Amino acid sequence: MANAPLLDRKFLERLERLTIHWQKSFPGLVGGHNRSRLPGGGQEFLDHRHYLQGDDLRAVNWRAYMRLDKMFLKLFQVEPRVPVRMLIDVSASMAAGDGGKFDFVRKLAGALCYVGLVRLDTIEVLPFATKLQEGKTCGGGRHRFTPLAHFLEDLKSGGTTNFLKVVREFLNDYPQRGLVIVVSDFLDENGCDKALQFLADYGNELMLIQLWSDEDRTPPWNGECDLVEAESGARLHIHVDAEARARYTEEFDKFAAGIRAVAMRNSGRYAGIPTSTPLEDAIFGKLLQSRSVA
Amino acid sequence: MFLNLNLGEFLAIFGGIGVVTIALYLLDRTRRRQVVSTLRFWVTPGLPSPVTRRRKIQQPISLLLQLLGMLLLLLAVAELHWGGSASGARRDHVLIIDTSAWMRAGAPGRPNGTLMDLARANAISWLRAVPESDRVLLLRADALATPATSWESNHVKVARAILETKPGATAINLTQSIEFARQLQKQTGSVGGEIVYDGPGRISAAEGDAGSTVNVPILRYLQVADPSENVGLRNVGARRSSAARDSWDVLVRVRNYGKIARTVNVTLNLGHAPVGLHSLTIPPSDDQETTFPVHTKAAGLLEVRIYPQDAFAADNYASLELPAQRSLHVVVYSDSPEEWKPALEADPRVVPEFRRKAEYTPANDGLVILDRFRPEPAPAGNVLWVDPPEKSPISIRERVGEPTGLRWAPDQALSAGLREHDLQIPSTAILETGTNDIKVAEVDRGPVIAARVIDDGKGKIARIIVMGFNPFAGSLRYELAAPLLLANELRWFAPEVFRDVDVAAQSAGTVSDSFNAPANGDVQVVTDAGTNLPFNLHDGKIQFFTGEAARVNVISANAERVYSLTLPEMWDRKWTPPAGVRRGIPAWNDSIRRGTDLWPWLALLGAALLLLEYLLYGREMSALLRVVRAHMERAGDAAGAGGRAA
Repeated sequence: MANAPLLDRKFLERLERLTIHWQKSFPGLVGGHNRSRLPGGGQEFLDHRHYLQGDDLRAVNWRAYMRLDKMFLKLFQVEPRVPVRMLIDVSASMAAGDGGKFDFVRKLAGALCYVGLVRLDTIEVLPFATKLQEGKTCGGGRHRFTPLAHFLEDLKSGGTTNFLKVVREFLNDYPQRGLVIVVSDFLDENGCDKALQFLADYGNELMLIQLWSDEDRTPPWNGECDLVEAESGARLHIHVDAEARARYTEEFDKFAAGIRAVAMRNSGRYAGIPTSTPLEDAIFGKLLQSRSVA
Repeated sequence: MFLNLNLGEFLAIFGGIGVVTIALYLLDRTRRRQVVSTLRFWVTPGLPSPVTRRRKIQQPISLLLQLLGMLLLLLAVAELHWGGSASGARRDHVLIIDTSAWMRAGAPGRPNGTLMDLARANAISWLRAVPESDRVLLLRADALATPATSWESNHVKVARAILETKPGATAINLTQSIEFARQLQKQTGSVGGEIVYDGPGRISAAEGDAGSTVNVPILRYLQVADPSENVGLRNVGARRSSAARDSWDVLVRVRNYGKIARTVNVTLNLGHAPVGLHSLTIPPSDDQETTFPVHTKAAGLLEVRIYPQDAFAADNYASLELPAQRSLHVVVYSDSPEEWKPALEADPRVVPEFRRKAEYTPANDGLVILDRFRPEPAPAGNVLWVDPPEKSPISIRERVGEPTGLRWAPDQALSAGLREHDLQIPSTAILETGTNDIKVAEVDRGPVIAARVIDDGKGKIARIIVMGFNPFAGSLRYELAAPLLLANELRWFAPEVFRDVDVAAQSAGTVSDSFNAPANGDVQVVTDAGTNLPFNLHDGKIQFFTGEAARVNVISANAERVYSLTLPEMWDRKWTPPAGVRRGIPAWNDSIRRGTDLWPWLALLGAALLLLEYLLYGREMSALLRVVRAHMERAGDAAGAGGRAA
């Protein structure tokens, strides 16, 4: 499966009906909310797409219709835009266990980027671990998705998570306020509440997507175990029984509730997604419920 | 008690299972290394502190539950049975039913019943007493022990096989049958039951002399009462009389198996015509022989009967098929027939006819001997040329007087037994032999006796012998080599006439008879059906075996024996059962019914314990519970989102 595409075409077609949704009005946006992103007349031609019910008939390419007997909609570039910034966690903890979180975060990021691209949003993908890594900016329609997919596929996991340092770098590099999507397991040895609060305090709208594997929340082991932390390499020799596993899950749920509280406190959105959930269910389930996409 | 396993097997299996379970348990519970995303939730206060000492068994209750569950399941497999006597355990029995020839004898006190009927009744009674869960194997035993059924829990099949059992033609080999039954029981691997012998217990002398003791843990003897008095034919033999032409000597041997002396009449019929009657008084447990001369040249059925009839009719009658006696017609053309007469008239199978040379005719229905005579035309067929004066069929190179260096061909039937090298031959012709000619005798100058086989290509074979000298002329007639050479030549011309024929009627089973094996080892043992029987030639005897009545021919180059194995093979003595043998019909069913089967309850309890252990400690169930819990949470989240949207 090394050559398998990040996201298959059928799934991408389903994503075309979605929109990344945010609530705040940021400087630079036309209209201050998502609906203002629709192309207007007289703008620079950008792309064609299939006509969907409800589209403006004035944008239909009637010449193409006469030739092909199909209705295509002309799309136009609207500038300037405040980009959607997506911070994706590529630390070693994301690849712990079977590596499910790392695969999931790449696919989820790809899916959200495609949603944005279809709606002509400009999205900046910024991987991070100990520090902010070189990102990838994409925008201008769905045909720009392939370079982004390659970028996501080439990502490597590693390093320890340092949210505070990453947020500081981010705020320095990107002072313009906007929607910040953070996709991570939020497992930082020093905690991430303070860093996330910084992001919100600087006027960014937070969309926090917490990923966890089944082992992260409900460890299946029984008896004596040597546990090795993926990022720090720290070891713990422990005896695990049903009671210990229950308390562990309880602690994990408390931690997830803390992340959620940060998002809610700052008028942001939160979605907790186990990696055992199919990606399609995650987007059309958890993310729709949290109104991260609409 | 265990019905399906003995205690040793049970302990061995449970020990093995226990060891494997504990090993797997320890392996499953061994400390394993896991790479995790974070340790922060494990070191939270309230969670178990890290351990420093490795404990071998962390969950002893889990292990105990597993072991207890398996113990109960194994007890169920072993079919633990509560109550009842030890004899009620399910076992494998072997029923040996006697199918020897003696089982044809009439049962005492039953005008139309036989010993076989009594044995069947005994076997059915015993089978009814066997618990339904026991398995039974029926063994039909005569000279060979043959299983009639497999190990059957379905006793109806065994009963059907018992009713289909018929007497054979041989005597029982009881020791071998019981040993075979013991081996069958050992092979099953289950609890051994009884070995039951059902019969009168009459064995052969060979088995009784062997004195082998039967070492069987549980042997039951269902004795069949049999008649004590019997007189029967032991064997009947017919051989060509050496004294008279066209005559047979018939030897009849009769045995009295009873305990009192008996007088019987032995009658001999040939072609349904009586040819002899002898009266014999035979002491108890003894044999007597009598000989009947029978004059006949033709083939015929020879029947031997003894009177009065007794309880066992099968050995009161025997029949033989006498073959026709063949002879060789020899016509001798000689000026001195007196030289040939003594040699040719000595054998009753040779019919000589002496003619003068003037009476010559080319007709030849056997053999023509031309003594220093060369007729025109030469006779066809088998011809013995003696010193032919001219136009010899094997050309004559020269004639010499008093030749030296006489040698006989060492590997020819024509020179068999001839060793004399100092034979004084007055004069002889030296022959010019071809490559296919048989050189019988040679001198320094060349061959003096040669034979030739002439095939006319139409299936007719003619044999000729040319002798360079007359072996009966002058002083040569007094030499042993002369008649021996003529006998060899006559046997070579007509081997079927001179083949010794013996006919015997005796019992089936193992046949062991004296036999002079030919030098070339060419012996055939065939039945009337054309089946070749395996045989053994050892120490001047031929041995072969047939389990049923048959007619067997033993054919070699010089002799033919016809065994009419129609007489039943009889017993010689009464079997003495070993000490401690059980007798009569047992009463098992009552004891087995008093017990209670526990295995269903044990199986249920064992399964329940294993299920309980699985629910409490099983990993897979924990994973299942996690999935169920995840679905419940998802449903809860969806309901919450719906509530918030509302």
